[in-house]
Amino acid sequence: MTPSFQHGRVFLLLAPRYHAVKNSLNRLAPGDGLKTVVLFLLGLGFWAFMFGVSYKVLAYFRTIEGLGDLLALRLLSMILLTFFSILVFSNIVTSLSTFYLSGELDILLSSPVQIETIYRAKFIETIVDSSWMTLIYGLPVFISYGTVFKVTAVYYFGLVLTIIPFLIIPAGFGIIVTMLLVNAFPARRAKDILVLIGLLFFVVMYILFRMLRPEKLVDPDAFPTLVQYLTAMRAPVSPLLPSNWATETLSPLLRTSRGDTWFSLLMLWSTAAASIVIGEWVCGRIYYTGWSRSQEGKRAPLSRSRAADALFRLLSLPFRRKMRAIVLKDVKLFFRDTSQWSQLFLLFALMVVYIYSFKLLPLEHAALPSFYLQNLISFLNLGLVGFVTSAVAVRFVFPAVSLEGASFWIIRAAPISIRDFLWAKFWSSLLPLLVLSEVLIILSNTLLKVTPFMMDLGIVTVFMMTFGITSLGVGLGAVFPKFKHENVAQIPTGFGGIVYMIIAMMFIGVVIVLEAWPVYRIFTVQTLGGRISLSGWAGIAVSFIMVVIVNIVALFLPMSMGMNRLKEGDI
Amino acid sequence: MIKLKNLTKLYGKLTAVDSLNLEVAQGEVFGFLGPNGAGKTTTIKMMAGLLQPTSGSAFIGGYDVQQEPLKAKLIIGFIPDRPFLYEKLTATEFMRFVSKLYDMDDAEKEISGLLALFGLKEWADELVENFSHGMKQRLVMASALLHKPQVLIVDEPMVGLDPRGARLVKDIFKDLASKGVTVFMSTHTLEIVEQMCTRVAIINKGVIIAEGSVEDLGHMARMPNSHLEPIFLKLTGGDEAVS
Repeated sequence: MTPSFQHGRVFLLLAPRYHAVKNSLNRLAPGDGLKTVVLFLLGLGFWAFMFGVSYKVLAYFRTIEGLGDLLALRLLSMILLTFFSILVFSNIVTSLSTFYLSGELDILLSSPVQIETIYRAKFIETIVDSSWMTLIYGLPVFISYGTVFKVTAVYYFGLVLTIIPFLIIPAGFGIIVTMLLVNAFPARRAKDILVLIGLLFFVVMYILFRMLRPEKLVDPDAFPTLVQYLTAMRAPVSPLLPSNWATETLSPLLRTSRGDTWFSLLMLWSTAAASIVIGEWVCGRIYYTGWSRSQEGKRAPLSRSRAADALFRLLSLPFRRKMRAIVLKDVKLFFRDTSQWSQLFLLFALMVVYIYSFKLLPLEHAALPSFYLQNLISFLNLGLVGFVTSAVAVRFVFPAVSLEGASFWIIRAAPISIRDFLWAKFWSSLLPLLVLSEVLIILSNTLLKVTPFMMDLGIVTVFMMTFGITSLGVGLGAVFPKFKHENVAQIPTGFGGIVYMIIAMMFIGVVIVLEAWPVYRIFTVQTLGGRISLSGWAGIAVSFIMVVIVNIVALFLPMSMGMNRLKEGDI
Repeated sequence: MIKLKNLTKLYGKLTAVDSLNLEVAQGEVFGFLGPNGAGKTTTIKMMAGLLQPTSGSAFIGGYDVQQEPLKAKLIIGFIPDRPFLYEKLTATEFMRFVSKLYDMDDAEKEISGLLALFGLKEWADELVENFSHGMKQRLVMASALLHKPQVLIVDEPMVGLDPRGARLVKDIFKDLASKGVTVFMSTHTLEIVEQMCTRVAIINKGVIIAEGSVEDLGHMARMPNSHLEPIFLKLTGGDEAVS
């Protein structure tokens, strides 16, 4: 059999994905349509927000005489460099799945399909999977450039011609890196290592960015610093980077600078073509060996020491026997899954930046009395800590039930009630969340030098809210379980996760509103003098009782809803 | 039709398959037995071109699977023990996809015939995600026969099948063998091996410890006229563990 029939088969290999999308759309379950509309509207809202922010920033830049266009251009260069870095990393991670870990490879590699054909199909799959989000959310930025700079249609035509090779280059590069990596390590371990490196990279960048204090850019007092900053930005980025070629292609079209669009465009396209050809050549030589090796790889056991085991046992001691088994299993799985425990670094970065931001607050320059402002901010801080705790919970607590995945049958078949199962999830999630939220509120209030009353109020309110936030996470996670998932990140980003965040925000909002009035009364008396009448005290008491009631409802209602959903048994 | 020559696979320091030599003639139904972790699936994966041998070769229809993979795969029908299926495709769409992988121009008649043969005609336009385990297994078998393979490599064919399904599969395999198709089958269902296989090999710790007809194996174990189960247990040392 000649390999002539291999031509044109690339699209055949992509056909299952096309059919899968078509079938999913044709066979929507009741409620799926609504979910799609809600998700679409949320996406659209975010898109509009991105456009609005970019437009405002660029329009503001244009008002700065002399420096505006340069600043806009440098911003474009930074955006493209950021996109390029994200795309390279995203393509490396995605190609690990598409080229080495995907289940369909068994079918493809046992069929008479040439490796090169698989490469081409997987290249397209990788580029789509890893770039669509960057592309969609990059577009409003590029369009806002076009709108602010009042460009002609040539800019948009040039933009399309720039974006295509700009997406191909990181894909080609990422796939080659992946193939080399998998030939050095088994695919599963390579994935663990990549997840960790990527996350640490992000955490360091995030903290560094915060430490650079970008808010100085909008502070007129810091203008001399801004000029220095701009001067520093005049230093050219490496002319060999594709992001630089993209900037050089687009800037003449924005009429901000003179340059040779065609030369840069040619560089982009020739590099893109080279990355495809070199990738195919590398694939033909090392892909099959690497794929065969990836069949042998075992998951990296990162927490299987005796000390870790003893610690986990100690942590689970307060639980009853059956609940202890669930807690112990959850803790072990968490620390053995790199994509899970590595998120703790992100959490740490979040805490550092949160506390650091409070340290920077220029309270002494404020017009309002510092005492009043500090307490007011501390009060708003309650809401912020609630928000941060909810954001952490949507990532760690909300997926708790879904993470049982295909193994949920073990729980259903075992002589353990759904009640015990859910409460085991609740208590094991509550403790770390309490530590997080209390550390945040105590440290931020200490930095704010708030009154003892506000400190106590903060500690107690956050303590109570964390119970509700945890219960909402576990309960709604059970109401919207996603047992079929490829990775944990898919669980909180679904419809249920959005519902959880909205309800958690409403819960925190209600608590804050209920506390706002009595706190305001007490502050007014403390700062302006006077007395609170008996009826005033009664009103304050009612408000605080309502706060307690809301928290009790938030604790028990979601858990009960979750139990009922899981008991329905149609999962 | 099948020839394994010093086929070896190392997983780090562990030797999963150790210098395997085996020949299976055209039209034979060959049983490949062994305890869990003996190296059966590793051998089968190397035969199907899914795993690169550390050394040695697997020849299918005269083609070296490593040197001429496309020619070898074109005549192989492979049924894995835990097959991947596209959950969001219908049975017919999946069959069409496989037919194109094997460069079949118009396979509608064959697809319809095979779906009917495996009792899936009513489910032809249903998404695979709604299939039971046994139905998925039958769909994979139907897809493996679509391109009329000369060699059928099957890893655990009876898992998940109901008695009717198991009977159907036995009949199909016998029929294929009578038409000259070579069936290489790994299984733990010894009763099926007794009923169907012309020859059997037992692999243990990566090495073939016995090969021949069921009667031959009985003589090797000094248990003539015995059923395969006690013979298998004795040859693999499993009888001590049982007792």
